[in-house]
Amino acid sequence: MKQMQPRQNYLGPGGWVWAGKYKLERYLYLLHRITGLGILLFLILHLCMTTIFRIQGQDVWEATMALLHNPWFKIGEYLVCAAFIYHALNGLRLILQELGFALGRPTPPVYPYKDALRKKRPWTIAMIAVIAILALVFFYDFIVGGW
Amino acid sequence: MRNTYLRLMQLVTGILIAVLLAIHIVIMHLNAILGFFGVDVTEPTSWESMIGRASQAIWVGLYIALLAVVLYHALNGLRGIILELTPSARTKRIATWVIIAFGIIAFIGGSYVPLALLIS
Repeated sequence: MKQMQPRQNYLGPGGWVWAGKYKLERYLYLLHRITGLGILLFLILHLCMTTIFRIQGQDVWEATMALLHNPWFKIGEYLVCAAFIYHALNGLRLILQELGFALGRPTPPVYPYKDALRKKRPWTIAMIAVIAILALVFFYDFIVGGW
Repeated sequence: MRNTYLRLMQLVTGILIAVLLAIHIVIMHLNAILGFFGVDVTEPTSWESMIGRASQAIWVGLYIALLAVVLYHALNGLRGIILELTPSARTKRIATWVIIAFGIIAFIGGSYVPLALLIS
């Protein structure tokens, strides 16, 4: 087998954003990656907070919590929640479609063609609607709970 | 072949995280809406509430399981992104081992603290 040349069409991280005409699903993929990296960053901070600060006893914990109840941290927490909702639901859509569900029936290729992207588009729209509703529910709770 | 299994595990851990982390986030943040449905959650970040959860084996087990699957999913995802940038074989090897070492350290640290609090 001929050895593949991996860097022939290499675009690097710039290619995540633009490499020709991307459709909606491709931008969802980009957002999936960004939210994933953001949640990883939060996970590291969260683990430091719940291990290093918690083991030092009640006073350190309460001082940390007082700092984290600052409105800016609350906004950050809300963004992490929204990122999790997006990453989870988009991930479930990707898993279902990778395993062959929610793709629509195969049809004979008679003009006008119905490509796979257009058949699964309704599922994508439904997913975005559910994400928006859940994000609003969380937003309501963050407002009611006070920043 | 090896990466195929890592990828399959990524799907399985993804589904597990969607369930476990949803429980975690709803308990930690949706106290107004849980209160509407009759579940009383009093300030989950206070020391008393945290120690209350940390002294129950079921919560500790749930959190350590969540920690394991989250660390796998996050670090395998990060490794996937790094490998997609087509680094050299040497960089790939170094990145893989750094990620494995970080994961083991984070898992030991993150499971030692709740276990120590549970025992004490």
